[in-house]
Amino acid sequence: MRDLLIPILVLSPMAGGALALILRGRAARSALVALSAAALVFAAVALASNGLMRYTPGPLTTIDWNRVVLAADVVLLGWFLALAWTRRHPGAFSLALLQAVGFAFLEIRYGERLRVTQGFVVDWLAIAMVLLVSILGSAIALYAIPYMDEHERHHPGVPSRQPRFFALILVFLGAMNGLALSNNLYWTYLFWEITTLCCVLLIAHDGTAEAVASSNRALWMNLVGGCAFLAAILMLAHAQPIGEAMAIDRLVGGPTPYLVPVALLCLAGFTKSAQLPFQGWLLGAMVAPTPVSALLHSSTMVKAGVYLVIRCAPAMQDTGLTNVVALAGAFTFVATAMVAISQRNAKRVLAYSTISNLGLIIACAGLNTAMAVSAAVMLLLFHAVSKALLFLAAGAIEQRIGSREIERMEGLVLRMPWTTALTVLGVLTMLLPPFGVLVSKWAALESAAREPAAMVLFVLGSAFTVLFWVRWIGRLMAVEPGREPEMTEQMPALFRWTMGSVAALAVLLSLLVTQVMQRFVAPVVASYLQVGSEGFRATVADLESRIGSFPVLGLALSLLIAVALAVILASGRRAPTVPYLCGEPPAEGAELAPLGPGDRPAPVRVSGTYLERFFAEERHAAWMTVGGVLLTAAMLGVAAL
Amino acid sequence: MSTPEIAIRLFAAVLLAPIAGMLLVGLDRRISARLQGRVGPPVTQPFYDLVKLLAKQGDTTSRFQTACLALYLASNVVSLAMVFLGQDLLVMLFVVAFGAVAYIVGGFSAKSPYSQLGTQREMLQLLTYEPLLIFLAVGIYLRTGSFLAADVLRLERPLLPELPVFALTLVVVYCIKLRKSPFDIAASAHHGHQEVVRGPLSEVAGPSLALVELAHWYELPLLLSIAALLWATPLWAGVLLGLACLLASIVVDNVAARLTWSWMLRFGWAVAVPASIANLLYLYATRGGGS
Amino acid sequence: MNLIQKARMKSPWILHFNAGSCNGCDIEILSCLTPVYDIERFGAVNVGNPKHADVLLVTGPVNRRNERVLRNLYDQMLDPKIVVAVGTCASSGGVFQNCYNCMGGVDKVIPVDVYVPGCAAKPETIIEGLILGLEKLAKMPSKPKKGAQPAEART
Ligand code: SF4
Repeated sequence: MRDLLIPILVLSPMAGGALALILRGRAARSALVALSAAALVFAAVALASNGLMRYTPGPLTTIDWNRVVLAADVVLLGWFLALAWTRRHPGAFSLALLQAVGFAFLEIRYGERLRVTQGFVVDWLAIAMVLLVSILGSAIALYAIPYMDEHERHHPGVPSRQPRFFALILVFLGAMNGLALSNNLYWTYLFWEITTLCCVLLIAHDGTAEAVASSNRALWMNLVGGCAFLAAILMLAHAQPIGEAMAIDRLVGGPTPYLVPVALLCLAGFTKSAQLPFQGWLLGAMVAPTPVSALLHSSTMVKAGVYLVIRCAPAMQDTGLTNVVALAGAFTFVATAMVAISQRNAKRVLAYSTISNLGLIIACAGLNTAMAVSAAVMLLLFHAVSKALLFLAAGAIEQRIGSREIERMEGLVLRMPWTTALTVLGVLTMLLPPFGVLVSKWAALESAAREPAAMVLFVLGSAFTVLFWVRWIGRLMAVEPGREPEMTEQMPALFRWTMGSVAALAVLLSLLVTQVMQRFVAPVVASYLQVGSEGFRATVADLESRIGSFPVLGLALSLLIAVALAVILASGRRAPTVPYLCGEPPAEGAELAPLGPGDRPAPVRVSGTYLERFFAEERHAAWMTVGGVLLTAAMLGVAAL
Repeated sequence: MSTPEIAIRLFAAVLLAPIAGMLLVGLDRRISARLQGRVGPPVTQPFYDLVKLLAKQGDTTSRFQTACLALYLASNVVSLAMVFLGQDLLVMLFVVAFGAVAYIVGGFSAKSPYSQLGTQREMLQLLTYEPLLIFLAVGIYLRTGSFLAADVLRLERPLLPELPVFALTLVVVYCIKLRKSPFDIAASAHHGHQEVVRGPLSEVAGPSLALVELAHWYELPLLLSIAALLWATPLWAGVLLGLACLLASIVVDNVAARLTWSWMLRFGWAVAVPASIANLLYLYATRGGGS
Repeated sequence: MNLIQKARMKSPWILHFNAGSCNGCDIEILSCLTPVYDIERFGAVNVGNPKHADVLLVTGPVNRRNERVLRNLYDQMLDPKIVVAVGTCASSGGVFQNCYNCMGGVDKVIPVDVYVPGCAAKPETIIEGLILGLEKLAKMPSKPKKGAQPAEART
């Protein structure tokens, strides 16, 4: 049974995806998605309860798995070439060609050194990642079933592109699990590139000019990452004559002489996590149907990048490289949080906030102390859950009101009370104590307190973050005084269940933050940095470090009491009233319109503030890109010296 | 800390501190009146205001906003209790931010022009003072080697000589948090001033408004105790420092005109934040104390 | 006098509305706030929002344009509340009596509790009217009242 877990996690969704292409009926497709979801969740939980293990697949009848991987790599690189060619994108084509040539060189020159004997190593970080991918991925795939039906009604395509859509989603889930579990850079590279391909194809799903353009941008930027990844493999293969050169557990087990490959891997991670200067592709990717954004662009695929950087953390301990990585992450954190303030499109706000949080994770990995790495891993987990919830809610809202504009969501609580409640809950879990993301941010701040640059950037970034979140909830909840929402709302059952369970997960996980710390985070840190209790100690009530403590239980209890109190205080009778408009009563029937000149209603318009004067994207795009390029260059430069 | 001691401290934070806070609010109004050549109300005035508000009938505040304001009040109570119990300062500041967020969301939930306008400004105020407070906590950490408020009390020397800038930024924070000129752009606490019809509280009435008044009784001791951390040994000197900051903010209130939000934002981010950072850099450079 | 009554007496928050006055009475109301009269001594505060106010001070005879505003402001105030008509105009229409566009006094629109005479009303009289009103306010029942009440006290 144990030996079946990893094949189930990696191959069964891929098989499900292939079947979804063949069985084109809606019922069959839904059944396939549900089955794959069940298998994934089951296997992931089993894997988690099984704990640490190693696993190498036996030969497939007589064929060595390495050959399968090789064949898959060849197909994949060919696909990239064809894709770039048919899309007439010279940049992407040359990058794909570069990778193809590099790969051929690698195979011909070092082929034998690449054979993998130690396929998969399951450690706690990998388990955490697999749980994320499998549980959130399943929820999102299920959510996509009703979503895509509705989506097709709005964007009719003949023939239906749904089989392709779900096939890509399922293949992607398998690849993500593979990426998390694989212990060998050579195999990881394959999974890495599969996720890129799925991402690029899914962004182009609607086939509009904008979608294709965004897809192209995602293609070339991720191919840059692919090239960096391949270059790292090449350098390692060149440097280490013996086999198992690519074993991650060896490579990153501690300080390594091979800093340049590590820097290249970080660069690959930066592209996948859309760090500055590569933020463009993730923003463009928001044209994709929302389940794609929820799955690939917030909770899982972009996490692959930071996952890789966290993996690399031990290897770059006490080097200049780690400082530059920390700086680059913190820079992204603060810059994108700032620009997010000026965004009027909810999905773009979510995208910027995602990039920003990924930056924070990378910065923590770069700080590279036990506390900081703990913060990084916690943030990885908590952010994924909350952000998935927010994207799912944003998708439900978009389908209902036909817009992603925050201003159009004004007073949404009257029309979609439950979805709004879930959105607000999602934001609160991102923003407030005692929820997990905030606990992680606290951990991040405390671990950065000795590093002036990182600390200052963290503080400023956190201040910006509050602004765009609060404004969004504010628009959702804006209701004229005297009206109270009724808590009834029509929505597909699968929406209700998937969003409800992700929300429950977000809250539950936050309440169990000390458990999460003990089970997942502390072992990662201990195994990683070979340190004892330097990070955080989790007691029943508190999360403690050497320099502070977070009274998780106390705050959760206080919050509970406060909420109960608030509910009691708010439950009293309310007298009818009208908003204060300088004394003028609102005109009959009109919203917020006092009688103006000639006794005609003069509507009052209220809207959110976006401070474009200070934070508009165009104002900051140039220095953000330049800063990103400089920091990335510095990263490679420092590693090379 | 033993259980009885925790109980005593909780009692002090939850029941005694707000009484002191109430008197301070009253004193504030009286000093302001004196500065304007008036006599002013009795110092117990806030108490009567509260009772009167609670006895008002037919509350028209939306349920959601009342709930938000209750959370705002609760966050003030909890953060004050955290300081009294010597808890982590960063977490304490996050709890304060929780209250600010609840207050802002409540203000946004009332769709009336003054509430919206005032709340937007309230949000910008949060953006201005939040980093200043967190920098202060980091500054304290850099000298004590701990974020726990309890560890500040164990110091032998006061922190102020090494963190002088923070006493000044704290006055800015006081002015913003206590809604004093030149920063009373969202809603003036100054009774008699009516900037944007009291902004986020435009649609709040009666008992719901009483929650806000009560929250202010906790806010003042909270702000005082943050200042007291800068001169924690002996503690009475710290309390005096807090009172001095309060007095400074009252004087500023009465001599300064109200300014615009963009001026506030620029002042905060171009003067107060860099000044805090400069002080922090000094602390980093002369890394002493701490672990 | 119980605590609630005492609190009502000691914390009158005032909303001032000009219903077509010549500004004479308004100036006198504002002078109540100045150091000379300093009504904040009695806990009185001039608020800008009917939802916060206990006392509505109205000046002017009320005309057809601002009648609905006056009624709306009154409705927006929470119970218990009192209305003080300040000046002869507000009490009876004064010099505007029988004007084509004038209602002829605040009590034609909303119930008035105290009438403060004078053209313009003197600050001392306004303060006395306020105190008289407060005595009535303090005695108001703690249950919401139904319908309008007739005018009673006069100074
Ligand atoms: S009573 Fe006299 S002073 Fe007052 S508003 Fe009327 S005319 Fe003007």
